[in-house]
Amino acid sequence: MASTAHSATSRVAWLAIPGAGYLLLVFALPLALLLASSFQSEQGGFTWQGYTNFLSDPFNATVVWNTLKIAFIVTGLCLLIGYPTAFAMARTSLPVQGGMFLALILPLSVGVIVKSFAWTIILRSNGPINHILMSLGIVDDPVKLLFNERGLVIAAVHVFLPFMVLPIFTVARQIDSRMQEAAATLGATPVHTFLKVTWPLSLPGVVTGCAFVFSMAVSMYVIPALLIGDRYQTLPAMMARAYLFMRDRQAGSTMAVVLLLIAVFIVVASTLLTRRLQARTQAQGVAA
Amino acid sequence: MGGALGSRDGAVSSLLLSGIVKRYGTQAVVDGLDFSIRSGEFVSLLGPSGCGKTTLLRIIAGLIACDAGRVVVGDTDVTKLPAHRRNIGVVFQSYALFPHLTVGENIAFGLKAHGVQGTELAAGVSQALKAVQLSALADRPISALSGGQQQRVAVARAIATRPRLILLDEPLSALDRKLRETMQIELRQMLRDAGMTAIFVTHDQEEALVMSDRIAVMNHGRIEQFDAPDTIYARPSTPFALNFVGLSSQWHGEVSRVSDTLLTVQTDCGTIDAPLAALPDATPGARVLVGVRPEMIEIKHLETSLAPLDAVPRNRLAVTVGETVFLGSRRLVYFQSQQVGANAVMAEVATNQSVATAPGDQLQLSWPVGHTLVYPMSASH
Amino acid sequence: MNSICMVRWARGLLLTAVALFMLLPLLVVVLVSFSDSSVFNLPSGAWSLRWYDSMLHKEGLGATLSLSLGVALASTLVALVLGTLCAVAIEQGRFKGREALLAFLVSPLLMPGLVIGVALLQALRAIGLQDVFGALLIGHIVITLPYVTRTVHASLVLFDMRLIEAAQTLGLSKPRALLQVMVPGLAPAFLTSGLFAFLASMDNYPISIFLTDARQKTLPIEILRYLEESPDPTIAAISSCLIFLAIVVLVVAERLVGMRRLAQF
Repeated sequence: MASTAHSATSRVAWLAIPGAGYLLLVFALPLALLLASSFQSEQGGFTWQGYTNFLSDPFNATVVWNTLKIAFIVTGLCLLIGYPTAFAMARTSLPVQGGMFLALILPLSVGVIVKSFAWTIILRSNGPINHILMSLGIVDDPVKLLFNERGLVIAAVHVFLPFMVLPIFTVARQIDSRMQEAAATLGATPVHTFLKVTWPLSLPGVVTGCAFVFSMAVSMYVIPALLIGDRYQTLPAMMARAYLFMRDRQAGSTMAVVLLLIAVFIVVASTLLTRRLQARTQAQGVAA
Repeated sequence: MGGALGSRDGAVSSLLLSGIVKRYGTQAVVDGLDFSIRSGEFVSLLGPSGCGKTTLLRIIAGLIACDAGRVVVGDTDVTKLPAHRRNIGVVFQSYALFPHLTVGENIAFGLKAHGVQGTELAAGVSQALKAVQLSALADRPISALSGGQQQRVAVARAIATRPRLILLDEPLSALDRKLRETMQIELRQMLRDAGMTAIFVTHDQEEALVMSDRIAVMNHGRIEQFDAPDTIYARPSTPFALNFVGLSSQWHGEVSRVSDTLLTVQTDCGTIDAPLAALPDATPGARVLVGVRPEMIEIKHLETSLAPLDAVPRNRLAVTVGETVFLGSRRLVYFQSQQVGANAVMAEVATNQSVATAPGDQLQLSWPVGHTLVYPMSASH
Repeated sequence: MNSICMVRWARGLLLTAVALFMLLPLLVVVLVSFSDSSVFNLPSGAWSLRWYDSMLHKEGLGATLSLSLGVALASTLVALVLGTLCAVAIEQGRFKGREALLAFLVSPLLMPGLVIGVALLQALRAIGLQDVFGALLIGHIVITLPYVTRTVHASLVLFDMRLIEAAQTLGLSKPRALLQVMVPGLAPAFLTSGLFAFLASMDNYPISIFLTDARQKTLPIEILRYLEESPDPTIAAISSCLIFLAIVVLVVAERLVGMRRLAQF
């Protein structure tokens, strides 16, 4: 009996072959080829040219810096808004939680183009926001929110906020509320309790959320395209242009690799961080 | 920063609750409760779930606010103080240990919150660890501990800040039976040595009997009886207390006669006498509930003549044996009851007792009249 | 205690503000689609359906829509099959490197879509694949497969295998027990992952842009082109339809599965 059970489980493993094989062929392989192609000169030989070109041009440094800067700002804002939201959600009644889920997931299901388009309408000089600001007398002239970083950040936060809130919410729900009560009975003020108990325990969710948002913000293309146009160059925009308009394969693949490296770095760093955090906090709820 | 660390000079506090009211919606979970315990006392709040004992505990700790009434610890009125300023230790049912900190860090948490640092901090932590006999485990993560160890860490953490009063919410319910029995005695000793005033919340009457100096039996937000364990056991003041603490045989009946010293009650199973002192204002015709503790009952064969000329008056009832439950050192013999309703009739005898008890046997029960308990019953019962 | 009331009040305010922030933009789009003016304005007085009419007569939109739908349906179906097989293999199998395999299968979601698109473009060019539908299908499966694998796997992990044992003691053979007990248990994960995969495919831009050509486009690419070349509120009408589609999908999913499980991350 034991041997058939054993072979049954090892036979089950073969079920993964189609899926894994597909991704190997269609995802991993092309990426490897891309990496190789970035080292390939026009004639077909090996060259560092693509990278030296890229790194020596100070404009590129600006582009990479812009991309990272915007990603940091967006991630920071999402964290600032998303963290209290996630905890507030975890503390309310179930119907309110359900409503909040809806408010977060509906936009997710709608798609980035519709959302970006919506913000182009809202943020225009003669759009609703400026309308309200002017009629309330807060400003005299319309505030320029489109085609600059402000509008981009607002739209990006709108698109990415659910990806910050939901992981933190998952973790917040698991934090036993008795722990905060215990901290209070031990004499900790609410601030002390937050810093020493709540925040450390919520870190896995925070790391996940930040990794998602940062990596998506770094590689976003549609949102800047609609909200900021050509004025603000991000790495994805430049990469797309290199392929689609300039047909510069080598420059394009170099930038693609740089973008890929950033993404891989984020994934690896967040995974390691999460693993370390989880090792520290093995059972998220103690006995009983 | 929390309230000043108390009890440095060894003085622990008494507790006074007056007029505590707590409503959830229209329902009063605690309704005008008065309660006071002496410094250094161990008291249990004993009752079924929903009786309000946990609510009361949380009100004392300051985790929820009462709608009316006062909470006074020692000579300080803490009613308006938030939990982190009361310096009342709490051991939660699920322990609520911080999973991201080690044992030592958990224990140090309260001391740090009070601003204690350096050598004083280390001394406080090692003292608490010593008190619960876990000195070797200071650097362990919480997830590596057994249930019993976690419970001790929870206690150590609560006593480390030398609170004036310590509250324990079903502290042993998560442990298995054997461990629970050992811990009951150890915990009591730990708290005594630490010189604490302690309140336990429990639904386990055996635990309350073992651990407390006095027990408050709670029902529907009120305290029905507040006495030493032996008093509550021997003289429960209400049918609820009778039922909740210990076992008993019970009969419904009507008072048929009241004399100078005795009440006579007519039941479906026979006549039962009780001392008048058990219900002094009884009148003939009143409906009552009569009870007696099972270990007071002797089982005899039907033909056995009533006792040697005993000065002690005894009650006698003829019964038919139902089931016998073997409990190790004693047996609990259940008798078929002719009365309507669920009240069981049982007697407790030592295992080596000589009278055989097979189902269907006709025997007689006998117990001293003085141990009979009587309670008035309203018509709805 | 006063502070508790204040905290509760602040909490409610925050949640309301965030909910409004998330939903109002969608509302604005829908309102604009009903406006009579040809500038992007909220309807101030004049309501009209002209933009919906314009949408229905828009040249090429039909072909675009059917391309997008076709690719989305096909890639979702393939992903459901392959993804479930993978999830089962990882959860039930006992081989080393299960965790790594799962990480690999989910990794496309973490990589920049643009990079995947570019990589695929080069690879497909190298082997000479010209068919747009085929290329899109291949590319979209890469992003739908991880959705399904992850969600179904998470659901399998939570599934209590003792239910299968209980069913066996009640007389069902193992295959029948799996069919009658586990499949219904997995159905929610199956459905929600399929729905979200479908939506992700319909919405995908970064991969599609590299795999389409001037003649055949997917819906997102077409919308973006309209916006850049000749923006008019027809786009608002199209967007409103997409919003409506999303609402329908969500309502269906919620009825079947419940709001909580939809948000499994």
